[in-house]
Amino acid sequence: MSDTDLSPTGHEARWQGLTEALRKVLTSVGVILTTLIGLLVLTFVIGRMVPADPVLAILGDTFDQTAYDRVYQELGLDQPLYAQFFHYVQNILHLDFGQSNVTKSLVVDDLARVFPATVELAVLAICIGTLFGVPLGVISAVRRGTWVDHLARVVGLLGHSTPIFWLGTMVILIFYAMLGWIPGGGRIDLYNDGLVEGPTGMLILDAALAREWEVFRSALHHILAPALLLGYAAMAYLSRMSRSFMLEQLGQEYILTARAKGLAQPAIVWKHAFRNIRVQLLTVITLAFCGLLDGAVLIETVFGWPGLGQYLTAALFYADMNAVLGAVLLIGLISILINLLSDVVYRFVDPRTR
Amino acid sequence: MLRRQFLASVAAAAVASALPAKLAMAATPKDQLVIATNMSTMRGVDPHEANQIESVEILANLYDRLVYFAPDNLAEPKPQIATSWEVSGDGKTFTFKIREGVTFHSGNPLTAEDVAWSLHRLVKLGLSPAIDLRQWGFNDQNVETLIRATDPQTLVVETPEVWNQSLILASLASSACSIVDRELALGKEQDGDLGRNFMQASDAGSGPFSLRSFRPNDVLMADAFKDYWNGAPAMRRVIMRHMPESSVQRLQLEAGDVDVATRLSSTDLAKFESEGGVDIQKVPGFGFYYIALNQKDDILSRPQVREAFRYLIDYEGLSNSIMRYYGVMRQTIIPSGLPGVLDEAPYKLDVEKAKALLAEAGLPDGFSKTCYLPAGTPYFEFAQSLQANAAKAGIKLELLVGDYLGKFRERVTDIYFARSGERLPDPHSILQSYASNADNSDGAPLSGLLAWRSAWDVPKDMQEQVAAAARETDATRRAEIYTALNQEYLESSPALVTSFERIDVKAVGKQVSGYTGHPTWVTRWDTVTKA
Repeated sequence: MSDTDLSPTGHEARWQGLTEALRKVLTSVGVILTTLIGLLVLTFVIGRMVPADPVLAILGDTFDQTAYDRVYQELGLDQPLYAQFFHYVQNILHLDFGQSNVTKSLVVDDLARVFPATVELAVLAICIGTLFGVPLGVISAVRRGTWVDHLARVVGLLGHSTPIFWLGTMVILIFYAMLGWIPGGGRIDLYNDGLVEGPTGMLILDAALAREWEVFRSALHHILAPALLLGYAAMAYLSRMSRSFMLEQLGQEYILTARAKGLAQPAIVWKHAFRNIRVQLLTVITLAFCGLLDGAVLIETVFGWPGLGQYLTAALFYADMNAVLGAVLLIGLISILINLLSDVVYRFVDPRTR
Repeated sequence: MLRRQFLASVAAAAVASALPAKLAMAATPKDQLVIATNMSTMRGVDPHEANQIESVEILANLYDRLVYFAPDNLAEPKPQIATSWEVSGDGKTFTFKIREGVTFHSGNPLTAEDVAWSLHRLVKLGLSPAIDLRQWGFNDQNVETLIRATDPQTLVVETPEVWNQSLILASLASSACSIVDRELALGKEQDGDLGRNFMQASDAGSGPFSLRSFRPNDVLMADAFKDYWNGAPAMRRVIMRHMPESSVQRLQLEAGDVDVATRLSSTDLAKFESEGGVDIQKVPGFGFYYIALNQKDDILSRPQVREAFRYLIDYEGLSNSIMRYYGVMRQTIIPSGLPGVLDEAPYKLDVEKAKALLAEAGLPDGFSKTCYLPAGTPYFEFAQSLQANAAKAGIKLELLVGDYLGKFRERVTDIYFARSGERLPDPHSILQSYASNADNSDGAPLSGLLAWRSAWDVPKDMQEQVAAAARETDATRRAEIYTALNQEYLESSPALVTSFERIDVKAVGKQVSGYTGHPTWVTRWDTVTKA
């Protein structure tokens, strides 16, 4: 037997580790860039294919030909398509998304205004959805076939199948118009508007940081109903998924072994079975959160919540392509980052993914 | 256990703080006016760029103009920044005396130089509101010569051609001709933009209200201008809130959280009308619901086919249902309140008559066409009614809902159904669009005219009458020409079939007085008081 040590030296091992880490980072960066470029091309092409005239969206219906020609040039529509795309990408690289035709502000400023409103709502909604949805799903699976399970399933099914704008309107009708428990819409009482201009744009957080408790109370009061509704929809989805994941785990042999060992039910459910659904849960929570970032438009409309969903919808309606591209790019970027973050979290919760 | 108790207390405190102790309905303060609106069509607050109905109402209050028309008297211009004016014998030169002691919100004094510069700016920017001056022959080259300040209190406006003076004064009363603080705007100028970037979300006016804050598609706040030349307004603040949902507007109006709702659906308006509690204002608008039949089409260009469409509209049924809050039946092209209006409405739904006309046109078996229309109420419901009646006469209409204005402007739609709206309180701008088309070729720069978009070669005598009326200086003679024109339009088989005169509806809380919707959209807030 030779004494030759085939294992890499410490230096080589470190080098290999570094190379591997670098490869992973480069792969991730490559994936991000490819996705973003794909997103850019796709949205740009779709934007130009939409049979809506952005000049008319700006001018309305009463104007003369001079006005039309002037705005047509201002929007750069007199240039060839490839030149328009080239200029657009060039501007993006300088973080210049251009001006919104609808709001007349810079798209970057608009996004800085509307995105925190949506994040605030989505974070609260996903917290509500997760805090209630996951335990409900787990309990429903554990008590399968009992009244608890049936109740949880009915609650989940209602949340999943009832149109959220209808629920929103009903909530406003009952809790605002009839009972007066909630405000009629918006992010804050008009009398508190503008008192806090904080660093994050999320009113609850900014008011707390500024110790403006009246503003904090007003902001919390306004966000509660839309967040609970969105949270309910998220809860319905997460409880169904949790139930399904949990049922799968509870049928596994290791659970049978745990039961045979005489382990208590809570320990079996939460320490054994639940540990094994955490990665799947993380995936669906991530997906639900990404959905909330761009999909809360109906709730934003009903509650007059000036968020990204409303902004994007208005931009689409009025062929405001700078705003559409900026918003889509932001959503894409945030979705990629959230997915990357969840990849990192996977490694902590599941050693097999390391 | 401690941790659980802590978490429970935090959650309870958060919920408790979010719920009000007394669950009473709020009411807006007596010195503040809250208006619910849909801001999504607004395009900033630069008076020389924005011309949508919501923007115009705001601009009417942030800025002043030389003259104004009271909503109940559109025939007589009244002094605003101009205290008086004279018109030269040849009708081409208007000399305005500018009010002394007027200041802008910035504190700068308002002079005739500001007025002249503002009108130059309007023409030079050349955006949609510029049509209010450009249509009279003002352009980049002549505007500085023709509109000038001869001293700080005197402004001279020379028109390139002779036009009826009420047309010029009506144009000068429009929000497009708002007077801008020249010093402030030029101080904020970027790359020679005449302050355009600055004025997208800031005001440079002298009106009764100054802009406090504006967040597009969210909220706009305007504060009373205490040094306003006509006295400080009673409302300390006016707040416009973006509420796209009609039901939400209705509930907030009922609860007293808003004072005025401007975009309510028919259902919600009907509820208010039946229950009372709010005033429903039906504000006439200078436009019509029209069916444009493309005259490049062999079938639609036959006079009998055009005539047949007039018998396929259920005027009476629509008046009592879908159009109850959107329009008033009118089959001509001059709306109520303007010279030349006719109350005759000889056409009625008559499918048999329409069939006979189609047979006469050589189309006894009917035909199939596509009808394009914008999304939303009442367009779709109206078009469905038309589709059903047309089907009975053998015409198969396919309805396509969406943004097809571009196609209509390219003259490629078979049938286009929509509504028009003008801002000048004068028949001319409507007639110019509906009954003049100097060049019916595809490349002609007349895409602003409905007649051109329909490729309708308007009878020459009708076009000459439209031009003659605009130049006629005698009011009685002018009214006669318009009456004759209107009658001729009614009796002819036009390519633009009108059925209802446009109205815009506002629901105003009983606590509000003095909020009167203006037909040219320049509704004022300084006349408002609250009980």
